[in-house]
Amino acid sequence: MLNAILNRELTTVLRTRRMMFFQVGLIAVFVLLVMIRWPTDNRVTEASNRSQQVFRLFSYGLLTTMLLILPVFPATNIVREKKQGTLALLLNSPLGPFRIYFGKLFSILALAGILLALSMPAAAACYCLGGLSLTEELPRVYAILALVALQYSAVGLYISSRSNSIDGAIRFTYGVILALAVVSLGPHKMLQGTDSDLATYAEWLRCVSPIAALMPVLGAADVGGQGLLATDGVPGRFALLSIVITVLASIGTILRLNHTIFDQSRAQGKISDDQNLFVRIVRRAMFLVDPQRRSGGISWFVNPVMIKEFRCRRFGRLHWLLRLVAVCAILSLVMAYVTTSGTLDWEVSEIGGLMVYLQVALVVLITPSLAAGLIATELESGGWPLLQTTPMSALRIVWGKLLSVILTLILLLFATLPGYIVMVYIDNGMRSQVERVVICLAATAGFAMLLSAGIGSLFRRTAPATVAAYTTLIAICAGPLLVWAGRDAPFGHNTVERVLIMNPVAAPLSVIRAAGFENYNLIPGNWWFMGLVSAASMLVLVFRTQRLWKPR
Amino acid sequence: MDTEQPVLEIKNLTKKYGTFTALDNLTLTLQAGQIFGLIGPNGAGKTTAIKILVGLNRPTSGSARIAGADCVQDARRIKRLVGYMPDRFGSYDNMRVREYLDFFGAAFGIPRRKRVKRIDEIMETTGTAYMKDRFVESLSHGMQQRVGVARTLLHDPKVLILDEPANGLDPQARIEMRDLLLSLAKLGKTLLVTSHILPELSRICSRVGIITHGKLRAFGTIEEIGRQISQRRTIEAQLTKAEQLSQAAGILRATLEPEAEIVESVPEKAIRFRTAISEDGLGSLLAKLVQGGVLVTQFREVQTDLEEAFMTFARPNQSDAALAGGAARA
Repeated sequence: MLNAILNRELTTVLRTRRMMFFQVGLIAVFVLLVMIRWPTDNRVTEASNRSQQVFRLFSYGLLTTMLLILPVFPATNIVREKKQGTLALLLNSPLGPFRIYFGKLFSILALAGILLALSMPAAAACYCLGGLSLTEELPRVYAILALVALQYSAVGLYISSRSNSIDGAIRFTYGVILALAVVSLGPHKMLQGTDSDLATYAEWLRCVSPIAALMPVLGAADVGGQGLLATDGVPGRFALLSIVITVLASIGTILRLNHTIFDQSRAQGKISDDQNLFVRIVRRAMFLVDPQRRSGGISWFVNPVMIKEFRCRRFGRLHWLLRLVAVCAILSLVMAYVTTSGTLDWEVSEIGGLMVYLQVALVVLITPSLAAGLIATELESGGWPLLQTTPMSALRIVWGKLLSVILTLILLLFATLPGYIVMVYIDNGMRSQVERVVICLAATAGFAMLLSAGIGSLFRRTAPATVAAYTTLIAICAGPLLVWAGRDAPFGHNTVERVLIMNPVAAPLSVIRAAGFENYNLIPGNWWFMGLVSAASMLVLVFRTQRLWKPR
Repeated sequence: MDTEQPVLEIKNLTKKYGTFTALDNLTLTLQAGQIFGLIGPNGAGKTTAIKILVGLNRPTSGSARIAGADCVQDARRIKRLVGYMPDRFGSYDNMRVREYLDFFGAAFGIPRRKRVKRIDEIMETTGTAYMKDRFVESLSHGMQQRVGVARTLLHDPKVLILDEPANGLDPQARIEMRDLLLSLAKLGKTLLVTSHILPELSRICSRVGIITHGKLRAFGTIEEIGRQISQRRTIEAQLTKAEQLSQAAGILRATLEPEAEIVESVPEKAIRFRTAISEDGLGSLLAKLVQGGVLVTQFREVQTDLEEAFMTFARPNQSDAALAGGAARA
């Protein structure tokens, strides 16, 4: 019975053409990586050194692939079955929740296993170059990657079991994985070196990240470390935390696989206007902008599609935007405050670098979820033909949709400005740097929006549109950083600089002179790159919209 | 209202997708204030015809005009003249019914104050006022269909084109939808409705068109269509004893033409037959049954209904031999 689910789940994915292309592409990348670094002279000079460099890059690449590609499978798994109605059939069969869950989990793990197996020949080639141990680096790296697959599959399935929409599940899963893999490193970076309970918690929190676990195994410096500290046992802690998270997520999912997953009453559409005065006053005080208040009509001077987009988004309503902006502003000010108050012995450029990281992470996390489904959601929900029968033009509709994303991103960027203002106040000499950083961030936001919208417009369903946008954007943001990670070896300064020009994260970091980026001159090359890609994406978006708009 | 001027004129409308002909030389005229039912099996070309009328598809040849506006040349005018409800509701998440209608009202450029009043009016007309604060995605299918009709009325169009409005509705909701469509016709709207629920259509439509394989096979009132189908009539004889059914069938076979279809129903103690026999022939047939000792309590003609007409045209061998030449006028 378990095999039946495993078979079905695995064959459904593996027989798609997209998956075949992906596997072939992955093999090609791995082969290329090894071929480029394979010694061509007769003497194998420092072969072991080179092998380690290649293997390091290869491992980070493999981890990035796992983080980008794998989550989409568990994230969509249960919620898609729920939407299609096949989950009800499964729950009505003699299969219990255990079998259903483990059938699904093992099928995703089998897929991850295939991805890892595809990398084996390249890993074997690295081993043949020498300098790698069959009992040390190789098994440890693969063990960490296997744990990543296990943990994120369990987390994805849990989120999927709690979600009501496929694209919502994807967004939330990628958000959680970004938090687990990257954001979890932040507190440790800020608090390392201090002697407090918080620092200990931050150290443990850092161990949730597979990046932190992989670096010591590959002989790299401690992630976020400043050359002063090196903590042993991060991979061990990562293994422990992964297993704990997997067990908890699995229990949560299994407990959800019963009638309760369908047991949802329809929202009755409660309205504050119909409640008594006391309730109205309390809600006004608590929410500032009460989401349950009856909204007014759309004004003549605004684009109705923009208002519709805001109203349709779960977090598009004003009270949510206010919360988001408030959190961003508070975070930005807190970081500026800890610098000025001397709590941490950091330079302005360091705190600036951290702010840039966080802002880009925020932009990368939020923008595809807002922009990727602009057209696909309409096509999927059946709203597109309705819009076509209104007197609005296709361009006005697209502009209204883009405006709703632009305004949200402007709000987010403005919310973080107070931190930069404090930085300029502390060190007035940084004024021009900060100005250029803000331009970089605005360009990144525009780039992320147009790229996501352009890629998303190529799809007819929201879920693949969102995944494609996330994957592309994260690949552009994280890919060049992998090359940067090998900046001393195997890549030279010029190669790294050329690659970093394509990176929206590196440009503002180089402007603010963050550690590791101070020697690269990425402006205005980066602006040109982002401008050209944005223009191309805009063209794709307009072309696709016009094509879909025209009567067939 | 000028009832002489046709509201809808379709002339030789053809739509081809490569070698496949989805719509073949459709010609049709409708007067104002009528409810026209377009029926046909899945893939017959109903939705293609509708999409051309609302400007979502382009015809390969032929023309279609609504209130004088060409569906291809005057696409912008058509949008204001037609209210279109597709077979899919087109839901938006996290949007309340009033906000949903407000958005489409704004999309049609209705000024805010007028829009508020208009939304109240159409909610009253369509019986959706009680669900104004509900989220559209949480509405039942019947409720969504009503909201869909409300949306089509926002800009006060002359013609309403409704694709399967009664699909998936329970009997109560179906009756409510039927009453709603009748009340809209009373308001002077011209309605073009497609449906698979034929009894519903037969109750509300002043004209019906049957379309199969992209061709209009029959057009007119249900009675007119019944006459178009065949000269053969269906007669039912009700007996007192089921045991006499085979005896009655033997008499019928001996008397009627060889092509006559005879069906015995033991539970109903009835025998039905389709025949081209004359009135005199029917009289002598009844006499033969009585003389043969068959106890007949009723002997009557069964009226052709829409379902029967539809089935006649939906049969592959029948449709090509159908009577309507593809042109119809009402």
